[in-house]
Amino acid sequence: MSRTRKGALTRAETRFAVFSLTPVMLLFGLFSLIPIVWGIVLMFYEYNPLNLHSPFIGMDNFRRLLHDEVFLKSFRNTFRFVAIAIPANIVLTLSIAIGINQIRSRLWKNTFRTLFFLPVVAPIAGSAVVWTTMFNKDGMINIMLNMFGLQSVNWLGDPVTAMLSIILMTLWADIGYNIVIFMTGLDAIPDVFYEAARLDGASGLKAFRHITLPLLSRTSLFVLIMTTISYLQMFPQFKIMTNGEPRNETRVMALDIFDNAFTYMNMGYASAMAFVLLLIVLIITVLQIRLGRSGWEY
Amino acid sequence: MIKRFARLFVPFLISGLVIVGCNSNSGGEPNGSSDGKVKLVWWSSDNAAFEGANKKLIEKYQAAHGNVEIDLQTFPYDALIQKLKAAFASKNPPDIVQMFGTWVTEYAKNGLLEPAPDDAFKSELYDAALGAYLYNGKVYGIPNEYNIENDGVLVHKKMFDDAGIAYPPKTWDEVIGAAKRLTVTENGAIKIRGLDMTSSDSTNFMFLAMILQQGAKYWTDDGHVNLTSPEAMKAMTALTDLLTKEKVSDLTLAGSTEEPYMVFFKGASAMTTAGPWTISEGKDTFQVSDFEYIPFPSFTSQPPYFAAESGWGEVVAKKSKHAKEAWEFVRFMAEPENAKAWNVQTFTVPANKKVAEDPEFVQEVPAMKTSLEALQYGQWIGPVGDRDYWFKAVFDQFTSIGAGKISVEDGLKKAQDAINQMLDRNQ
Repeated sequence: MSRTRKGALTRAETRFAVFSLTPVMLLFGLFSLIPIVWGIVLMFYEYNPLNLHSPFIGMDNFRRLLHDEVFLKSFRNTFRFVAIAIPANIVLTLSIAIGINQIRSRLWKNTFRTLFFLPVVAPIAGSAVVWTTMFNKDGMINIMLNMFGLQSVNWLGDPVTAMLSIILMTLWADIGYNIVIFMTGLDAIPDVFYEAARLDGASGLKAFRHITLPLLSRTSLFVLIMTTISYLQMFPQFKIMTNGEPRNETRVMALDIFDNAFTYMNMGYASAMAFVLLLIVLIITVLQIRLGRSGWEY
Repeated sequence: MIKRFARLFVPFLISGLVIVGCNSNSGGEPNGSSDGKVKLVWWSSDNAAFEGANKKLIEKYQAAHGNVEIDLQTFPYDALIQKLKAAFASKNPPDIVQMFGTWVTEYAKNGLLEPAPDDAFKSELYDAALGAYLYNGKVYGIPNEYNIENDGVLVHKKMFDDAGIAYPPKTWDEVIGAAKRLTVTENGAIKIRGLDMTSSDSTNFMFLAMILQQGAKYWTDDGHVNLTSPEAMKAMTALTDLLTKEKVSDLTLAGSTEEPYMVFFKGASAMTTAGPWTISEGKDTFQVSDFEYIPFPSFTSQPPYFAAESGWGEVVAKKSKHAKEAWEFVRFMAEPENAKAWNVQTFTVPANKKVAEDPEFVQEVPAMKTSLEALQYGQWIGPVGDRDYWFKAVFDQFTSIGAGKISVEDGLKKAQDAINQMLDRNQ
């Protein structure tokens, strides 16, 4: 084998690259690129796959979105969910990760990490069913409340508590992943910084504020972006636990997109909704990346 | 350059062709048979009673028609809805489908169903049951069932007896009076509901029935709905008053998977408006038998008119290679003797007048008596377009009005506008 110029690939390398990438590119094209392009095209049509004709309607689907009360509510609900669930997730997962990192015994450290990660392995649809029964009128949570002399709560049927119940379930189901990421980030911070801080007489809180948090910012940014993307598109627990009820208080955008696409078969309209969600995810992600830029190495 | 391009993209092309090749027609439903028999594929829901009744009729038909083989394929209700849409959209439907009547219009409108070769059987069926199977003067299937969700109420008679209330209640006021006395409240929350109707179906059907029982209509001459008439306002006011003034039920389970009939069979309500199909659910699923199903009185002095969706029935796909044979089987199913056997086994209200009026039928299913007596008052709900959208639009406003978030007038205006826009899009 010989290289004709620096950096150029040999024929064998090119062939290897092409054959290696072909399956991945095909899968990407078939299941990501084509559906995205198709979705973008559909949003300009009144498209129902059963209909003989699908008229081009330009921006009508977007104009309709502006006056669709259910969509506007799902828009607000999505942000309400994200605004509560993401900070709660990050505070909780970071605290637990720091707590587990303090454990010296390798066995216990691994045990706790595994325990917190277990719900991530369980299918979220199954977890949602289990939590629905727990939140029921005669479910485990109300039984526990009654044991302490407190009244039962209509967790999933009350507009005030329904969203909070789903957030609680989501946190339980989802924190394991971020805990592992944060633990990896914490492990990567060199001990020498903490030793220096100790010698200078810094308290644990000061070390956390001035060493852990800044040096964990890249990890935190990754966690924040991935969690935001995931939570903006959250669907199974909303479908299974409340189906958007009561009074649409738990109807999020992903659920509204699903209903319009597959219940009402308004696929053009659902595509317009999905495009709005895509834009939101894109804008928030770009903002997060720009605001979270750091110019350091260790 | 071309060579380089070809070298890069030929593998993509070949792989793509392999995938397409593997996929080609693999999902198709066979329409023929290697042994010379005509093979018909029939899709239905996996409801055990329906499946059993369908299989019996298949056996009987195949015994008399040796050249036909019918392959019954069943799916869970939700999966059936999605599979049908996918199969028809991809031009690969089964020959016969057991469809819910309200779905039929959309498939017929888009030329996806084969119309009946002759429609002489029309007069044998109730108009309310046949309604959704008609489109532009043609018949696109035969209903087996007269879907009825009104004019009957599940009652725990023992609760009446224990409270010393005259039974059965015969007027609207008597029902509401009894419901108020039977409602049990603890710590400000309703423990036993006197009269429950807080599901989307119950609310919608009661609302429409109450409009009709005032001698009014909810359809306009141009094919839109009018839900802001004085009669519609009165009906919605009376319905929401049950929550806010009479306090015989509440919204704590509205929209949840806990349907009112389930609440009833768990003993947490005294009366619940429901279709007769809930009777067998109560006996089979909830193992409850100490209840009765009695007529629900009219909201006014007029007869208890009600709106009904066309029920389950058979349609034939336009794309079927054996549409003639498929229609022959559908006609066989609709013969009174076979229709009766199907209705008895599935505990459904007959769409066929002869079956419904047959004294032997009510002897075989005495629990159906209340519904059979009400059939004369039913009328087809009309071309509702997207039924789920319609029902949600009304139910959303019902819950908002019931929760005091919006006035009856504004709520009904919103529901009306949403439904009319949907109807315009569906035209």
